[in-house]
Amino acid sequence: MAVDWTQLTIQVLLVVLSPVAIGLLFGIDRKITAHMQNRVGPPIIQPFYDLIKLFGKRTMVMNNGQIVFAFACLFLQAAALALLASGGDLLIVFFVSGAGSVAFVLGAFSARSPYSYYGSQRELLQILAYEPVLLLVILLIGYDRGTFTVSRLDTNLLPVLPLALIALMAVLVIKLQKSPYDIATAHQEIVSGPYVEYSGPYLGITKLANWFEVAVIFGILTLFYWNENMALSIAGKVAIVAVALFATQVLDNATARLTRERMLRFTLPYGILLVALNMALIYLNRQGVF
Amino acid sequence: MNATDRSRIKSPWILHFDTGSCNGCDIETWALLTPKYDIERFGMLNKANPKHADMLLVTGPVSMKVADRLRNLYNQMPEPRFVIAVGNCACTGAPFSDCYNVHGGIGKIIPVDIFVPGCAARPEAIIDGVVLGLKIWRQRAFAPRPKERPLPATESSEAAP
Repeated sequence: MAVDWTQLTIQVLLVVLSPVAIGLLFGIDRKITAHMQNRVGPPIIQPFYDLIKLFGKRTMVMNNGQIVFAFACLFLQAAALALLASGGDLLIVFFVSGAGSVAFVLGAFSARSPYSYYGSQRELLQILAYEPVLLLVILLIGYDRGTFTVSRLDTNLLPVLPLALIALMAVLVIKLQKSPYDIATAHQEIVSGPYVEYSGPYLGITKLANWFEVAVIFGILTLFYWNENMALSIAGKVAIVAVALFATQVLDNATARLTRERMLRFTLPYGILLVALNMALIYLNRQGVF
Repeated sequence: MNATDRSRIKSPWILHFDTGSCNGCDIETWALLTPKYDIERFGMLNKANPKHADMLLVTGPVSMKVADRLRNLYNQMPEPRFVIAVGNCACTGAPFSDCYNVHGGIGKIIPVDIFVPGCAARPEAIIDGVVLGLKIWRQRAFAPRPKERPLPATESSEAAP
């Protein structure tokens, strides 16, 4: 099988540049949040300063398991992004990314610390809240298109799956660790939850893993828009990311943190309801009702 | 100055610890987070976790009970780290320096880099102190690397809770 070098280069660039883009996105996020709160805010490249500083700090670890799970989390999330960027199977992307989230939770559980335990229990609950919705959205994409292969999803999903996109917003809020669902990392409440026992370079690695995780979910969001015209296609994808990020920011600044029970009670029923409604719409459309 | 040193100066995360303060300096420290003073523009974040922090802001005289906790927090902060004594009490113990239940300033327990005087220390003074700290950090970045400071000895055992 001949290797398509151009395509391979593009895919490698996508995987390498995605965390950079997500870092910038977090920087813009912090800047806009600061302006919303009438502050000046940090420079846009602040997340990179934070990350490089963390990698330059002295290593302090609780146990070896922590290191292994931090690297496992980073590797799995990066693998999920690589699969997505190379046009792989969407379901595999979902499962690999999910395994990465579980590795992170195990890493937090490996340290015998009350806050770390609280944080990882809550992180598990969050996974329970968003994972079914995300899986159902992916299954819905498969139901509509007849394939899970990303490289063959070359149609505009936005008019077909509008409700699924709205359901994904709750997933995005949880993955971005923003109010009202910043339950695991709840700052000032349980310090920083699963991150609490990580320090220095290993904290940096878990942060980087989170960047990859967010890159995967934004990658899935960008699948919703596609156009024959390459430039138009990219513009549409960027617009989806920008609108989604801004929506989460408004939510973040306008709401307080909810309890774990309310997160479960809201995301699961409403997320599944939206996906079900969307599925019914597709079905009725196929039957020629509209 | 390499990228790591530059990033350190741009992103000092703060841990605030009250060693027995009257809360005057604490309130002024918390004021730093408000839109008026907005220390996030220097990249500072209040982390409330010694393992994530680069700077330790301490307010209040060190009481006998809290000395071990202060030492414990300091030891949990990975190098390079920075200690700022905020307010007269943290600097010298001020009116409480010869009380039976007080050690005095935090300098008696852990090494201090910057002293910010004032009763209570004004937020502007605290920002000045932090910026001075960053300046010293910048000088250290250019200077040859000093040896890492040894951890201060613990007086009593630091048993887990």
